[in-house]
Amino acid sequence: MIKVEHVQKRYRNVDALHDLSMVIPDGSIYGLIGPNGAGKTTLLRILAALIPPTQGEVWFDDEEISKAPSVIQRKVGYMPDFFGVYPDLTSIEYLDFYAGIHGVPRAKRTQVINDLLELVDLTSKREALVETLSRGMKQRLCLARALVHDPEVLLLDEPASGLDPRARVELRELLRTLQGMGKTIVISSHILLEMAEMCSDVAIIQGGKLVLAGNMDEVSQRLGKGRRLEIRVLERVEDAVQMLKESPEINNVEHENGDLISAEFSGDDRALHKVLAHLITQEIPVVSFAPRSGGGALEEVFMSITEGSLPS
Amino acid sequence: MTFAALLTKELRLRLRRERSVWVIIIYLVVMGLLGFGYLAQASAFNGNQNYLLSQVGAQLYNLLAVVQLFLIVFIAPAFTSTSINGEKERQTFDMLICSRLSSFSLLAGKLVAGLASTFLLIAASLPLFSLVFFFGGVSPSQVLNAVVVFVFTAIPIGAFGLFCSALVRRPTVSTAITYMGCVFWMLGPWVALLLLRGPSLLGLGSGTTPHLLGWNPIAALVSTLPGGNVVGTYPLGNHSYPLWIVYSVLSIVMTFVFFLLGMWFVKPNPVGRLKFVLDNAKWFSTPHIEDDDNPEDDDADDREDIVTV
Repeated sequence: MIKVEHVQKRYRNVDALHDLSMVIPDGSIYGLIGPNGAGKTTLLRILAALIPPTQGEVWFDDEEISKAPSVIQRKVGYMPDFFGVYPDLTSIEYLDFYAGIHGVPRAKRTQVINDLLELVDLTSKREALVETLSRGMKQRLCLARALVHDPEVLLLDEPASGLDPRARVELRELLRTLQGMGKTIVISSHILLEMAEMCSDVAIIQGGKLVLAGNMDEVSQRLGKGRRLEIRVLERVEDAVQMLKESPEINNVEHENGDLISAEFSGDDRALHKVLAHLITQEIPVVSFAPRSGGGALEEVFMSITEGSLPS
Repeated sequence: MTFAALLTKELRLRLRRERSVWVIIIYLVVMGLLGFGYLAQASAFNGNQNYLLSQVGAQLYNLLAVVQLFLIVFIAPAFTSTSINGEKERQTFDMLICSRLSSFSLLAGKLVAGLASTFLLIAASLPLFSLVFFFGGVSPSQVLNAVVVFVFTAIPIGAFGLFCSALVRRPTVSTAITYMGCVFWMLGPWVALLLLRGPSLLGLGSGTTPHLLGWNPIAALVSTLPGGNVVGTYPLGNHSYPLWIVYSVLSIVMTFVFFLLGMWFVKPNPVGRLKFVLDNAKWFSTPHIEDDDNPEDDDADDREDIVTV
């Protein structure tokens, strides 16, 4: 578990972070959301022990980061938002170099590198020069680099920026695989819908201050918007719409065309189950029942804190 | 292990660049053409004056050695003067800092790789030097002493370039400072002697080397050349030592100085850490670290605060 306690970071006369506290649970995918200049990168650099906070403390389990930055750096794999590569090295040489400077024993390196290349789906590019890789491939290679010393925590600063939709999907799948391997992943991004789908926890930061933090469902509920439900039925659409409208946890039921109904749901999973069970017991032929996390809600709050302008 | 990994990467990158091959080719062509030009001129001259072959050999050797020294001073800074800030510009520095690479290993790896490139040039030129043995007039020990001067010229230049690249953010600026430092090192003492003692041989030939020339590469090289006793020997206590030996020792000392300074500056926020050390040394106050508030530093992100590298 990572605990950020009353962290402040001051650059000359500017507070990049102001009295920021949060808890990042083990094994979570923790999203940092905020507009440009909110302090996301500064927070990630503090977590990576690259810079110390001006005030406050950051704890990795029972170790305070400023007391043992080098110990923390061994636990952390950091991928900056802008990163360079050594273009004249091949993928294998690139990873071999970073494995070397992370102290991975020479005897283990080949196996580690092969496994990582397979994980990021770059095995076919093992002998290719890094400069010949596409941006998405470089991004995945850099992710492999961050994993080369098998860190417990991954800090990813805007890992999906500049990637095409396919590369983003691949990255998202990769992060889920890593979460399945027990890694804690802290990720900053502007792509709110993906963050909402991917993250188990989020923190919204604005002007160096924490606006909101917590489990994704909790955040959705606290925002008062809840999850979006998408239900597809074979027939009796009007009956289904009526039943949904009668449910206290459901608002804004919409049925524009065909057999697709969408609605806002503000209850917990148990209430969600009741809604589905009610539809089934009333013999409504439900063929799809898809609760989606609060990407829309996140987007709304993001729009409000950035005064209506989404960053590119 | 981290040092070896960095050195391997550096050598791979350097030797794969097309530029590396061209530097060696141009270096040898320049040396060869100068030698050939001198021989052609000496042959014409020999027809009238009955020159001794050994004199031709000695003069050819002197010419090549001086040219080699200037070429080393011209080329060596390029191998290290952008090593650290180049990583920052390439946006790979953070990823180095996030590893187990110590500041010593980082600088040592960069320095050894830079020096390897310079030594490759020196080694490649040795066959050219060996041509002078056909003419005589130069002993193998003199050639060996000159090589020692070349090596101990390249090493402090490499360390100085590395220090500049850790100190200055922009690679072009650090390169310019390194070259200016080298020019001052080469010519500064001679200009100072000229101003102090006037143009009459700069006071040389008296048997002892002026202190100003104690760490000067030109004077050190001249002391190894045939007829090089014009710069005399360097007095230390009751003894006098050949200048090239004194020069080599001073070069080692200065290399350590530049290397240690580079280690200090390669870590983020050197100014803040200096304040921290001074505060604790002077007043034994509670340790604290302040952010770098140097107004000339454009990007606080890359220069702030203490980090274990």
